[in-house]
Amino acid sequence: MGLEQFKNRNVGRQDYVMLDLGHTPETGMGKFKQVVRRTVKPELFVGLWVTFREMINALFRGKMHTVKYPLEKLPISPRYRAIHEMLRLLESGHYRCIGCGLCEKICISNCIAMETRYDENQRKEVTEYTINFGRCIFCGYCAEVCPELAIVHGPRYETASEQRASFSLFEDMLTPKDKLDMQKEFEGFGAVSPNADENIKKTPLAY
Amino acid sequence: MSKHNSIHTGKPITITIDGKECRSEFGKTILEIARENDIYIPTMCYLTKVLPIGSCRMCVVEVEGVEGMILSCQEKAVDGISVTTNSPELYKERQNIMKLYDVNHPLECGVCDKSGECDLQNKTMEFGVDSQEFTARDQHRPVENWGYVSYDPALCIMCEKCVRVSTEITGDEALKVKFGGYGSTIVNLKKEADYASLGEAAAVCPVGALVISDFKYTSNAWELQKIPSSCPHCGGGCQLYYEVKPTSISDRSDKIYRVTNEAEFATLCGAGRFGFDYANKAAKKKPEAFAKAVEAFKKADTVRFSSVISNEEALILQRLKERYGFKLVSSEAYAYQKFMRAYASITGKKLFGGEVEKIKDSKAIIVFGTRINDDAPTIKYRINSASKWHRARVAYMHPMEDSEMQHIATQFVKYEAGSEEGVAALLAHTLIDGENIDEKSKAVMDTLDIGYLSAESNVGEEELEALKASLKKREGFSLVVGEDLYTHPRAEQIARWIALIEKYTDFNVVCVPPAGNAMGVSLICDLDETAEGYTVGYNAPGDFVLSALGDGDLDMPAMNQQEGTLTTFDKDVVPMHVALSYDGYVLNDIANALGEEKRYTIDYTPELPRESGYKKVCFDDLPDYFDKTGKEHRGYRLEERCVETNGSAEEPEELDTFDGAVVYRCNPSTQFSPFTAKATHLKDEPLLRGSQQFAAAAKLKDGDYVRFEIDGVVFERLFTIDTSMKGTVAINPTFDKGLSSSLLSSYRFGRPSFEKIDQKIGNENE
Repeated sequence: MGLEQFKNRNVGRQDYVMLDLGHTPETGMGKFKQVVRRTVKPELFVGLWVTFREMINALFRGKMHTVKYPLEKLPISPRYRAIHEMLRLLESGHYRCIGCGLCEKICISNCIAMETRYDENQRKEVTEYTINFGRCIFCGYCAEVCPELAIVHGPRYETASEQRASFSLFEDMLTPKDKLDMQKEFEGFGAVSPNADENIKKTPLAY
Repeated sequence: MSKHNSIHTGKPITITIDGKECRSEFGKTILEIARENDIYIPTMCYLTKVLPIGSCRMCVVEVEGVEGMILSCQEKAVDGISVTTNSPELYKERQNIMKLYDVNHPLECGVCDKSGECDLQNKTMEFGVDSQEFTARDQHRPVENWGYVSYDPALCIMCEKCVRVSTEITGDEALKVKFGGYGSTIVNLKKEADYASLGEAAAVCPVGALVISDFKYTSNAWELQKIPSSCPHCGGGCQLYYEVKPTSISDRSDKIYRVTNEAEFATLCGAGRFGFDYANKAAKKKPEAFAKAVEAFKKADTVRFSSVISNEEALILQRLKERYGFKLVSSEAYAYQKFMRAYASITGKKLFGGEVEKIKDSKAIIVFGTRINDDAPTIKYRINSASKWHRARVAYMHPMEDSEMQHIATQFVKYEAGSEEGVAALLAHTLIDGENIDEKSKAVMDTLDIGYLSAESNVGEEELEALKASLKKREGFSLVVGEDLYTHPRAEQIARWIALIEKYTDFNVVCVPPAGNAMGVSLICDLDETAEGYTVGYNAPGDFVLSALGDGDLDMPAMNQQEGTLTTFDKDVVPMHVALSYDGYVLNDIANALGEEKRYTIDYTPELPRESGYKKVCFDDLPDYFDKTGKEHRGYRLEERCVETNGSAEEPEELDTFDGAVVYRCNPSTQFSPFTAKATHLKDEPLLRGSQQFAAAAKLKDGDYVRFEIDGVVFERLFTIDTSMKGTVAINPTFDKGLSSSLLSSYRFGRPSFEKIDQKIGNENE
């Protein structure tokens, strides 16, 4: 067998359409004229008017659009995937994580690690849980796979810190016990759908 | 399969399964033939290594011309049948079975240890169980902790695999089914015994009902990396997987979390399953110590080593011996080597002729000179299987009864400690039909003073008659002999008597080697009897000590930290792989420093001595798997080698029997060596255990501390009275004696003088 077919690199149908891009000026004068033509147009004044209008609105009519960032923050979509939070059960205050290890398994950047043990109450206890945020790509799989909605993505998008460890310990990610009343149910990626009730089938309970 | 007891087996038959023509032989079940031919029939309760259980009914098939559904695991195939393994009706049937299994099964897969390798999970998915039409009132079923294993009845699907394993394989007979309809449960009748062999029952549990207590909730199955290897403890070289994962979040070095095996086909004993935590973790390369080790080898007069060693290491020592001319001493292996040489001088074959696997199929088994349940539990398992499957007659010949053999042995033949030679002669005389044997042996046999031997050894002639009678009208006999005989002062004479039995009867004779790789060592090394001069000890005491326990002058890798092969008592050469990393020096480094040139220890594998039956096969070419039908493909089997036959039986000398308080050197069934003693999951106390009679004879009370000495090793033991024991022989374990346990080389029975001490003073050995 010859190598001809490998040498022909003009693959495809070769049916390109050439676009009419007008002509490109070649002389210095031609180039200058094009710049002036493109710059001085009525739209320039439309833009200046909008800016002026907004300035008047902001300064004299109290309609300021600028968010004073560190002091003010915009609400963020529940779908946004920022630093993880570990939620607690609202009734008992116990953390929701059951130590099933699905987040550890599904993590594509392999940044979740956990330790579990058999505790005195014959339950699986999570003794240690870390996320290596140096490797986390915030893909959201962990939150999606979590059967207990225990690990979720919070809205805390400022991830600059002096130490990565500031984020990565179980205790740090858990809702503080005294702020349990402020814990919000997660609505983002992987949360129960609004019509979940309709999808549940009843199992027979004859007794 | 061997376990099915049927006549006319072996006749070739042809059946059709799903249109595929399958050739096999009569006696096999439809399921077995299907599996041989790569045809899938789902099962839940079927366990290849035991008799069909038939509790799940998942394996139903349709047979043309037969009404209804047939259980393929139980029904033997007959010639010409046509089987359908899948149809809409069968699918519906199986789906309903799965639905029933799922009734009230706790939805705790998230935390269950079995999740990811659970048969119930898999089959529920496979049969698309997405709704439930059945229901039952749930009951309160508390979790029970049984020691090595714990049982959660709520998760149990009552497949009965564990009960069958406990009965048919391990023979502890601890587990039973408590029937009661939906309230049926598994009960442990012998909780107080806390059998480590229940690990076997846990291994076959298809769900998370029976789990290893120490492992529970520590790791998900899928996080663990399986490392195939062989168990180095008893000499059986059983297949196992070390399952490793980093120790913790802060310590990323690997740790063995548990040991599993191909439980569908193979079995591990308690020591194999729980005795894995003995790695030499702290080892570091210390060049000064290494230089001293090299010097020590150069000036050594003797190298003493324990038989917990791989074939390759044994060969390295042998090569070094050839180079430097030092003596090689390994007492257990030496005794075995001597015994087998005498044995071979009769049979003409280097190894014993029997096969361990054949014990399972035997209809009559004689156990002689070994406390088999403790010396080699997996051989006892096979004897137990024969007893359960074929109602095999089991004659247990030993100076002390073993309560663990009570339900297996049909005849206890108790002889006096020390009289093994006489018993061997009597046994040969009973079993060998005197007609066609060689003249020399015949002459000795004819002149045997049966009356004297019988009187001295305390084995009644009527007992031997009963033994002989029990063999009548049966076929397939096995004789298992063990370590008591190898250490006997007249071991060679005993060997010849046993060898005569192999040569002139159709007994399947197995000479169980002592613990460790004693068989490999005896085949590879040219051993000497006694140590002298400057001694280098490898896992043994010496002037310079190499130790895998981490307490020597130079660290060595433990068996789960090194590559190599083991020679098993089934005459197989099986591979071990590295489970845990090791940072120190290995024996091969010393050998290289001394002039040998091998990059890795396993480069010695193809050079194992051909004259002992080893093959020229590289380590990486050794297979290590079980095929679909359960056939083992691990390593290779030693080839048979012939030797000169020049021996003949000798008239037994005057029998020197032991009276009074006798101590028998024997480890519990879960302990074999200092390595199992180091393993934290095994919980055995080193106690001197004896009966009331022994206490009286030795003038000891329950709870006394005593000191005595055997072969220069000082034992300080707490004495306890074990009510299950009889007679004046007490059991003294040696596993806690560290390196010095390899010094114990004398006859296993002994009469040390006891000295009462106030309390135990430390654990000094020498």
